[in-house]
Amino acid sequence: MAADKTPSRGAAVRIDRLRKTFGSAVAVDSISLDIPAGSFVTLLGPSGSGKTTTLNLIAGFLSPDAGAILFDGAVVSDVPTHKRNIGMVFQNYALFPHMTVFDNVGFPLKMRTKLASADARTRILETLALVELNGFEARYPRQLSGGQQQRVAMARALVSHPRLLLMDEPLGALDKKLREQMQFEIKNIHRSIGTTFVYVTHDQTEALTMSDLIVVMNHGKIEQAGTPRRLYETPENQFVADFLGGANLLPGTVAAVAADHFGVAVEGGFTVQVPRDRVVANAGDAVSVLVRPEEVGVALTEDRQAGTECVAGTVTAVGYLGDSLKLEVAVAGIAIGAKLARVRGLSIESGQRVYVSWPRASARLLLRSAR
Amino acid sequence: MTVPVADPAPARISLDRALVPALLLGPTLLWIFFFFLWPLGLMVWQSFIVKDAFSLDHYASLFTTPIYARALWTTFEISIICTVGSLILGYPVAYYLTVGDARIRAVVMILVIIPYWLDYIVRSFSWLILFGRRGLVNRFLVDVGLIAEPLQLLYNLGSVLVGMIQIMLPLMILTLFGAMLRINRQLVAAAEIHGASPWRAFWSVFFPLSLPGVYAAFLLVFIISLGFYITPALLGSPKETMISQIIMLVATELFDWPLASAAGVLLLAVTIAVVIAYNRTFSIERLWGGKEA
Repeated sequence: MAADKTPSRGAAVRIDRLRKTFGSAVAVDSISLDIPAGSFVTLLGPSGSGKTTTLNLIAGFLSPDAGAILFDGAVVSDVPTHKRNIGMVFQNYALFPHMTVFDNVGFPLKMRTKLASADARTRILETLALVELNGFEARYPRQLSGGQQQRVAMARALVSHPRLLLMDEPLGALDKKLREQMQFEIKNIHRSIGTTFVYVTHDQTEALTMSDLIVVMNHGKIEQAGTPRRLYETPENQFVADFLGGANLLPGTVAAVAADHFGVAVEGGFTVQVPRDRVVANAGDAVSVLVRPEEVGVALTEDRQAGTECVAGTVTAVGYLGDSLKLEVAVAGIAIGAKLARVRGLSIESGQRVYVSWPRASARLLLRSAR
Repeated sequence: MTVPVADPAPARISLDRALVPALLLGPTLLWIFFFFLWPLGLMVWQSFIVKDAFSLDHYASLFTTPIYARALWTTFEISIICTVGSLILGYPVAYYLTVGDARIRAVVMILVIIPYWLDYIVRSFSWLILFGRRGLVNRFLVDVGLIAEPLQLLYNLGSVLVGMIQIMLPLMILTLFGAMLRINRQLVAAAEIHGASPWRAFWSVFFPLSLPGVYAAFLLVFIISLGFYITPALLGSPKETMISQIIMLVATELFDWPLASAAGVLLLAVTIAVVIAYNRTFSIERLWGGKEA
């Protein structure tokens, strides 16, 4: 074991009022963000949200129009890409087709270190073992499957123990099963080496599964940043609520402000109560009430319990998902989606009159004029 | 007359299968056969016949007459230098066309393509105007006072090469450019983020990946150079006589058609041999782990 075995400590990355435009299009709109050393941070957003541009700015492939990027407190704006000590996994892996797996993985060592070839060899084999790809050293990339290429790309990015690892939708090209497996492997690798990971994806499941911190981006701005649980359970606006998991957003206006809850008049003519939590709203504000589909219950008879909302509606769509049932119920012209655990014997059909209910505590008020 | 009762569909499919390729390819195949393969066959046949009998005499005289062997050697020499010269001049231009600033790129592209459209006879003649004893270059040098007497710029190896390289350069550049466009530029980014300076990223990634294009362009330019006729005839001296000139001379001045045919066949055989040897040596796909699945 000649190579240093201590896990490289990750860099703390600070993004300070970073801005990048392409012509008249603002790709990244003065965002600021602190990425703690050694954390796994996911930039999540739809295409065109600025997440990949942000990643390319961190990599140094693009230079910002304004603002700065700091690694461990030092501004890197003038540091060229190859001196930033970063590893990166590209969406289509970007493996060198004219090099073997061994040479691909060894490339960063050759460029960055003066390791003797025996030491380099040890390090390359160690890294290949980390991604469970021993025995493939002599193969060329095109002789590997997508999943294997993905592992080679990981190994190449990690081999020189960079202080920061960037990943640009690295699992996008894999099938679902492999993707889920790789999510856990990437998370395990992160835990074992302690490098800071910045991961870009538009897949909310990936983001929720792997991240310490999720940064939801839209139109070049950060909508909200926080832990997966925080973003899912207490989203600050409709976009975040909608992007992370299924969401029912019932449009309405604040009708009453009580000590512990709001009364909201939902468009269509029914009123619901929503906990006040830390949300600030005044009577008359245009709002949306967020109700997660998995919180929604559906029953054939009215069953008003304390602490639940219950409204009548008509089933408009039924989807059978095997382990669960997906329903859409029209309540006073508003569609409410429900995701029910499979109930043996229960049969619900389109057109049926049903009662939709959810625990009041699970609902959340979102200001519609948030942006 | 009876009407066929059977379902006509299967018969029509098989008719289409035979007819469509015949209609699509037939005219060109016929053309190639009558105006290329047939005369080519006649030429090959003629080159082996002496007084109605099979003989290698024509080939023997090709190899034993010094002027012919000399011309064959000169042809190779000039073609190699011309191809290497075009490559050295053309590669950086093709690279710039691939990675450079978009506005300048458009201008460079036009500068490359315009001469490509001009007839090469015109281009060869233009060097006479430029390089002649009373040509623009000599007059300028004399007027400036750098030289007292006009230089002999024409009718030597240098002028032949200048003319040929100028003619082949656009083809070299465009072939290289086409190949370079297919290189995934993200690979260069991947090299840089993993520690390679732009210079090292170029040499370790872009350049090796451009080699298939280099090999293809080299072969193309080399083979076309082998058949050059007008340019060495206009810009060269007898010392720069190439094999095409010999073929022309033997056929139209000496009226020795069988000997001209033999020279033509020899040029063809040598060219094919070069292509085969070349493909064996530079099979890049095989080197990098087989063709893409």
